[in-house]
Amino acid sequence: MKRNMQRLASLAVAAGLVLGMAACGSGQSASNDSSKATNTSNTTNTAVNSTESSGGKSKISFWTFHTNAEKEFMASLPEKYKAVNPNVEVTYENFPESDYMGTKLTTAFAANAGPDVFVMSPGDFLKYANSGVAKDLTSYFTDEMKQDFLPSAIDAVTVDGKIVAIPFEIELLGLYYNKDMFKAAGLEAPKTWDELINATKKLKKGDIASLIVEPSKGYYQNFTWYPFLWQTGANVIDSGTKTATFEGEGVEKSLKLWGDLIKAGAPSKLSIPLTNEIALLGSGKAAMQVCGTWAVASLENNYQDTNIGLVPLPVPEGGKAATAAGGWKLMVNGKSENSDAAAKFAMWAFAEDTSIPLEWCTKVKFAYSPRKSVIEAGKDIYTKGLREVFTNQIYDSAVGEPRYPSEIVNAVGDALQNVMFNNGDPKSEAKKANDKIADFLKTYNGAM
Amino acid sequence: MNNLSISTMTTRKKYGIKSKKVKENLFAYFMLAPDVIGIALFIFVPILIALYVSFHDWNVLEPMKYIGLENYKNLLSDGQWWHSVWTTLLYTLMFVPMVFCISLLLAVFVNSIPGSAQEFFRTLYFIPYSISTVVASLIWRFMMDPQRGFINDILRAIGLPAQDFLGNPKQALFCIAFISAWMLIGYYSIIFLAALKDIPVSYYEAAYLDGANFFHVFKSITFPLLKEVNTFVLIVTTIASFQVFDQIKILTNGGPADATNVSVYYIYKNAFEYMKVGYSSALAFVLFAIIFVFSLIQLRITKGNSDE
Repeated sequence: MKRNMQRLASLAVAAGLVLGMAACGSGQSASNDSSKATNTSNTTNTAVNSTESSGGKSKISFWTFHTNAEKEFMASLPEKYKAVNPNVEVTYENFPESDYMGTKLTTAFAANAGPDVFVMSPGDFLKYANSGVAKDLTSYFTDEMKQDFLPSAIDAVTVDGKIVAIPFEIELLGLYYNKDMFKAAGLEAPKTWDELINATKKLKKGDIASLIVEPSKGYYQNFTWYPFLWQTGANVIDSGTKTATFEGEGVEKSLKLWGDLIKAGAPSKLSIPLTNEIALLGSGKAAMQVCGTWAVASLENNYQDTNIGLVPLPVPEGGKAATAAGGWKLMVNGKSENSDAAAKFAMWAFAEDTSIPLEWCTKVKFAYSPRKSVIEAGKDIYTKGLREVFTNQIYDSAVGEPRYPSEIVNAVGDALQNVMFNNGDPKSEAKKANDKIADFLKTYNGAM
Repeated sequence: MNNLSISTMTTRKKYGIKSKKVKENLFAYFMLAPDVIGIALFIFVPILIALYVSFHDWNVLEPMKYIGLENYKNLLSDGQWWHSVWTTLLYTLMFVPMVFCISLLLAVFVNSIPGSAQEFFRTLYFIPYSISTVVASLIWRFMMDPQRGFINDILRAIGLPAQDFLGNPKQALFCIAFISAWMLIGYYSIIFLAALKDIPVSYYEAAYLDGANFFHVFKSITFPLLKEVNTFVLIVTTIASFQVFDQIKILTNGGPADATNVSVYYIYKNAFEYMKVGYSSALAFVLFAIIFVFSLIQLRITKGNSDE
């Protein structure tokens, strides 16, 4: 009996390890007074931040997830800022992308040790905007700046009439393809969905993938699939009335398209987890890939020997061209003691002078700037090489990446996964997702 | 006088023993302290905090809001949660027998090898256990790549159709169970091997003299005498199977089409993707209860066996 009790105790400990997982994100939970529960206003919240002022010098932490040239660029900003404002010391920290969006930011904010300035994806934007973490930057935007930014870019970072982030890049999607493989197979670059399916079937050969679209569920898969949905005229929700519209022929057709592409031979699994990496196409291991503007620089620098072309995303019979315009935003921690100094640093980096954003969008990587002045300053570059296709054939069809809450992303993702991998019927999958979204919207009060 | 001296002697002796015992006990507590404090601080305190959080609505960024049993009510009707529990059970049914049978057979095989070759094989099978889960998972992810993986290269070379493995909802969970088993088999076969060494050789000699063959011996001597170890391995691997996470995070992220969305992964997703920390804590407690009940049942069954 005694031994059994010992065993039981050790079982309890082992099982407790599971619980430890959920608890590890809650470091400071117990000290958080629940009487504050009703207080959701960020102005009265007196969170202690890791940064502190010492000797009149403000210390600011700045976090991103970049690699290579992008990381070097971000790391160079604090040094440059020293010349502008010697009283502010900015420390840059860089994390692997999956950690950054996985647990790093979440746990840092949970422990009241979040960074002062950080980058945010459209996918997680609302969580931070609705919770009051994001500092209201409206007063930092001069009229001149507001004129300079594209109205759609400002809309994308506005919540309840407040500008809560700085957009600093616009990234568009297109279909990259290997010209030599198409020529050898006697095919033209696909313009329609049927041609896309046909090419996917024909170009699959041994260990060469014919078409790479993101097979794993998540924000990125949805982001790359939305253009096909929009091309049919359908949408996930009507953001004006906040009602679910994920039903009808357009939704079913676009769900079915990705199912058909998998059946036609597009890989169901990739060893490199994110398909936003262009390595497979660049190294001749794939014939086509749905990817974004950011891939241009990588193709030019690392894969000059492969003959790569670019076309707008294929459209369905009778549909109209559409692509998604994504891009990260710069957010400032409104709960930080130094939020004013942090906001000034962020504005300096991407809203004032044109030289820093121009370097980011044209030299470090290729993206469109959300600012008219920057696009004007770099107009020669925007027609170089594959960029010309984005500028002249794709740019006009861009629709801003939606900033849906994760519940909606999840419902859409489930429908897409089931059609792609479980032989799900597009009609019933769309209905299931639509019901889930409608249910969620009933109780959702945040901004959309 | 005589009497007095005797009584003082006994008292002295008595107190001497007692103080020695106290000293020993104190020393034992002192030696245990680091572990006890560590477990309390890093396991029991977080568990209590998780329990507290599970009664709240908390998205990490805003203050917690007390909502009573709401999270527990919600999880009852959360289809995805119960699907994840079912997926975990399926995984257990694949993983536990696989680890148990293969490591037992390997142990019997290694035990039958004479001389120093035995050490060689023992080390060989133990190597996968010494690789970190992350590294091992990454290696398998590349080997199982549907397009360019080494395993499909072999299949194609011998004229078999290439498989999707982790990209196919019907194969993915089994692949993960297989990979996890591959990592752990070496460890459990060492445990079995140690127990095998405890069985007196004379039993086998007697059996073989009576004309028993290998299978008779295994069935009637080896297996019954391993009862204690069998129980241990079954319970520990069952618990491990309920806690599978790293492999899933690295190999499939719960996909394709939720085919590998096990409970712990679903808990992680709720906490760090959907930022429903209160809800995920409630899920963790329910999982804790499920594991606890399972272990109790297992203990009851195995206890019944050993009473026979």
